[in-house]
Amino acid sequence: MLRHRSRCFAMRAQFQRWCALATVSAAMALAAPAQAQIKIGFQAPLTGPAATDGVSARIAAEIARDKINAGGGVLDQKIELVTYDDQAKTEEAVFTANKLIGQDGVKFAVSGSYSASGRAAAPIFQRAGVPFISAYGVHPDITRAGNYCFRGVHLGPPQGRAGAKFVSDNLKLKRVSIITMDNDYGQATFEGFKSVLDQFGIKVAGEYTYSLKDRQFGSIVASVKRDDPEVIYITGYFFTAAPLVSQLRSAGIRAPIVGSQAFDAEKLIQIAGPAVEGVYIVGGLNRDRDAPELKQYLAEFQKRAGYAGENVGATVYSAVRLMADATSRAGTLDPAKVRDALAATHNFPHLAGELVSFNALREINMPMNVNVVKDGSFRHYAWIDDLKLLAPPTE
Amino acid sequence: MSAYATSVLAIMGINIMLAVSLNMITGFCGQFSLGHAAFYGAGAYGAAFFAAAGAPLPLALAAGIIVAGLLGLVVGFAALRLRADFLAVTTIGVSFLFVGFVRKQPWLGAEMGISRIPASGLGSEGNTLLIIACALVTVVASLYVDRSWMGFAFRAVGDDEETARTIAIPVSRYKLVAFTLGTAIAGLAGGLYAYFTQFIVPDSFGFILSVALMAMVVIGGTGSTLGVVAAAILLTLLPEIFRFINEYRLLIFGGLLVLVMRFAPGGLAGLAQALALRLRKS
Amino acid sequence: MYYVDLAFNGLVFGCMYALMAVGLTLVYGLLRILHIAHAAVYAFGAYVAVIVANATGGIVFGVIAAMAAAAVLGIVIYRFLYEPLLSYPPYIPMIASIGLLVFMEDGFRIAFGEQGLTFARNPYPTQLHEFLGLTVNTVQIAIVIAATVCLLLLASFTTRTRIGIGWRATVSDPRIAESFGVDAIKVRHLNFAIGSALAGLAGALIGLLNNFVEPTMGFVVSYKALAIIVVGGLGSLRGTLIASLALGLVESYGTIFVGRFLDRDAIAFLFLIAVLIARPRGLAGIKAA
Repeated sequence: MLRHRSRCFAMRAQFQRWCALATVSAAMALAAPAQAQIKIGFQAPLTGPAATDGVSARIAAEIARDKINAGGGVLDQKIELVTYDDQAKTEEAVFTANKLIGQDGVKFAVSGSYSASGRAAAPIFQRAGVPFISAYGVHPDITRAGNYCFRGVHLGPPQGRAGAKFVSDNLKLKRVSIITMDNDYGQATFEGFKSVLDQFGIKVAGEYTYSLKDRQFGSIVASVKRDDPEVIYITGYFFTAAPLVSQLRSAGIRAPIVGSQAFDAEKLIQIAGPAVEGVYIVGGLNRDRDAPELKQYLAEFQKRAGYAGENVGATVYSAVRLMADATSRAGTLDPAKVRDALAATHNFPHLAGELVSFNALREINMPMNVNVVKDGSFRHYAWIDDLKLLAPPTE
Repeated sequence: MSAYATSVLAIMGINIMLAVSLNMITGFCGQFSLGHAAFYGAGAYGAAFFAAAGAPLPLALAAGIIVAGLLGLVVGFAALRLRADFLAVTTIGVSFLFVGFVRKQPWLGAEMGISRIPASGLGSEGNTLLIIACALVTVVASLYVDRSWMGFAFRAVGDDEETARTIAIPVSRYKLVAFTLGTAIAGLAGGLYAYFTQFIVPDSFGFILSVALMAMVVIGGTGSTLGVVAAAILLTLLPEIFRFINEYRLLIFGGLLVLVMRFAPGGLAGLAQALALRLRKS
Repeated sequence: MYYVDLAFNGLVFGCMYALMAVGLTLVYGLLRILHIAHAAVYAFGAYVAVIVANATGGIVFGVIAAMAAAAVLGIVIYRFLYEPLLSYPPYIPMIASIGLLVFMEDGFRIAFGEQGLTFARNPYPTQLHEFLGLTVNTVQIAIVIAATVCLLLLASFTTRTRIGIGWRATVSDPRIAESFGVDAIKVRHLNFAIGSALAGLAGALIGLLNNFVEPTMGFVVSYKALAIIVVGGLGSLRGTLIASLALGLVESYGTIFVGRFLDRDAIAFLFLIAVLIARPRGLAGIKAA
């Protein structure tokens, strides 16, 4: 047994020493030199399980910043990105949001992170009156946090509905097996898909879910084989989609496969190779669009990242550009006016297509692209432009 | 006080509560639990569920405590039948079972979590004050238990069960008390966390957090309340202070664990004690 | 046919788990330490395999290199981490082990990128074979064969060779074994080398199967392997094998039928906890002294 008194005394001395060290370090870390004028706060999961997307997001945001500054900045001022790693965790999102507002004094913020951190950060930015765009986070309550919160990507349910329409109207197939990733994004997309089954006359042959961490899908593959569907609809990220599609094809299943937006990464093709030929991706980035800004972005992203740009990066780039554009249109740095300019956005050249407008809940009205994997790359296949079908909720 | 400092203090208070309560189970009573995050999560979900349904703050927090304590009791019973290594792995299982179960329940928000937790009514500074107060009470309680007869019994059970039995200590009962007490406190921390973020998701309460909490206990010095408090404060503040090396955060954390275990297995408390001894000699 | 399909999948899983779990159970049997860093050895094997294979153009070189490198790593971990901590309560080396796993995984991420690595020329996962009505690929067959061969070799090694028998003796009772002239240190090194080599092999094979090696690949398997050795009865090779296969099958069937209520990990651990409550000493019922 330890002696309490002496231990307490020594502990206190030890603790005081740590406090002193902490204070000095904090002072050093906070004494940053003052620089460019307009600060845009940026959160991304630079480490942790979402790091693959976080790093893409950061690079994309930096490309946007550099492009804006090269063009003279906004209202004759350069913009500066204040970037924090939120590790895709709620409390880190809270800390970093508070830091951005309180210590860095940002006037505008973009989240290049997943749903949970976007959802945690949104109310904080709302309370502080900081216009906030969630580039690709799909939690429905992000925009419900308040009228300063915008979203730059389609929610899960519209993506699911678009998937159903594509299966039924474009592919003209009716019997589907659905394989869903069991996170919020997968779940929401799946619900969207299911909500319009009757409308499109689609029958479900089987429904399966898998975890983000799974790489082996033997049971699901065997089950789908037994279902013998006409088409398979899958939600997933490249690191789950690649093995899953590979294994489906290895089992001799020839049915067309329709994947969700998050399939859209070069690594998918690298890992799965010929197995992903012919896979459709609803919500993928249309790299074939004849838009110079898109081509410039893709070239620059490839140069900086060492891998090809995908949807995540594109949405983040566009979110930063949109924020700058709204500020220009507002003609002032007053956050309230910028917010209004954002809400009034009309036909903005988003990298993924034309951002027609924001609805009453600040969700995007925008057509959705469908890619197909052909000869080892993503090619544009079709547009889903039924904006009514894609319409996000208004409250 | 800035919103940032308020939020960091809040999490620090919660971490202190979690680490100290884990220390009661593992440090005092020798029951190695790598599932503490599950009880924290149970408390968070319990409180969040009731809060979202309209319950006032005290009721919701109480719900969290009860849910966590009950879960702790159940796990404690299971623990009675198991030896140390089996217990460690079983508690890992508890951690995974909790997340794996919660994320599939639509009535608990499934993957989206519980999102519209109403404000506590205290404001964010008030929340932090409440958390700090609870943390202080926890620390004081832990110190008291440590010096009390119950603490003695805990240690006896933790050090050598067979011998404890021979001096008429009802081993099973004390094990259960330790588990329930520790998990109830974790449940309270969970409820407070739910009000702090007003949004909880299953992934926040997974195995990785259990490991981080155990790391706090071990780095602080298993069994030493103040050591554990110091470690909790340190491991909360350091990542914030050293944000510029955030890229290597896990590397440093892992390396720290290895180094502490390898060279100072008694943790901060052990180091402090060795230092005190040396000071006294000179 | 469907159920046979599921069963075969369970078998492949089980073989993979067995290759991992054997190393863990060997270490536990000898030192009573839960060697969680074993998962880092597994991931390390996978990385070595993909790097060597891509550099030399030979996948077999990669696999052999993986086994050799893993064996060395295992011994290094023993020498520098566990040996000095043997006199402490077992949770100390266990925490150190966890720390090492976290450290190494982040090391892999920093060194090789969070996007992971792929094999440059790996035709095996898409090479299909018809077999008793099942469609299987080359890597799956390789896993089953590798696991069977290695385990048979291990079994005959421990029962038929002098070193092997000396090793078993050391596991049962170190002091008596030493008095019979068995070198305890050599036995420990051998123990770690063999267990780690098998983990390295498992890592390489899984890397081939998925055509993908990622920094956190070890994490997923680590706690499952722990569950297996506990269910199998800590220290018992036979129990570990049974538990590996059992878990493989439970997961394979469980995710289909129970997947709506619990995710995969929860199913695995539910199985574990159920077994432990029914038989607190594990499947093999061995008393781990």
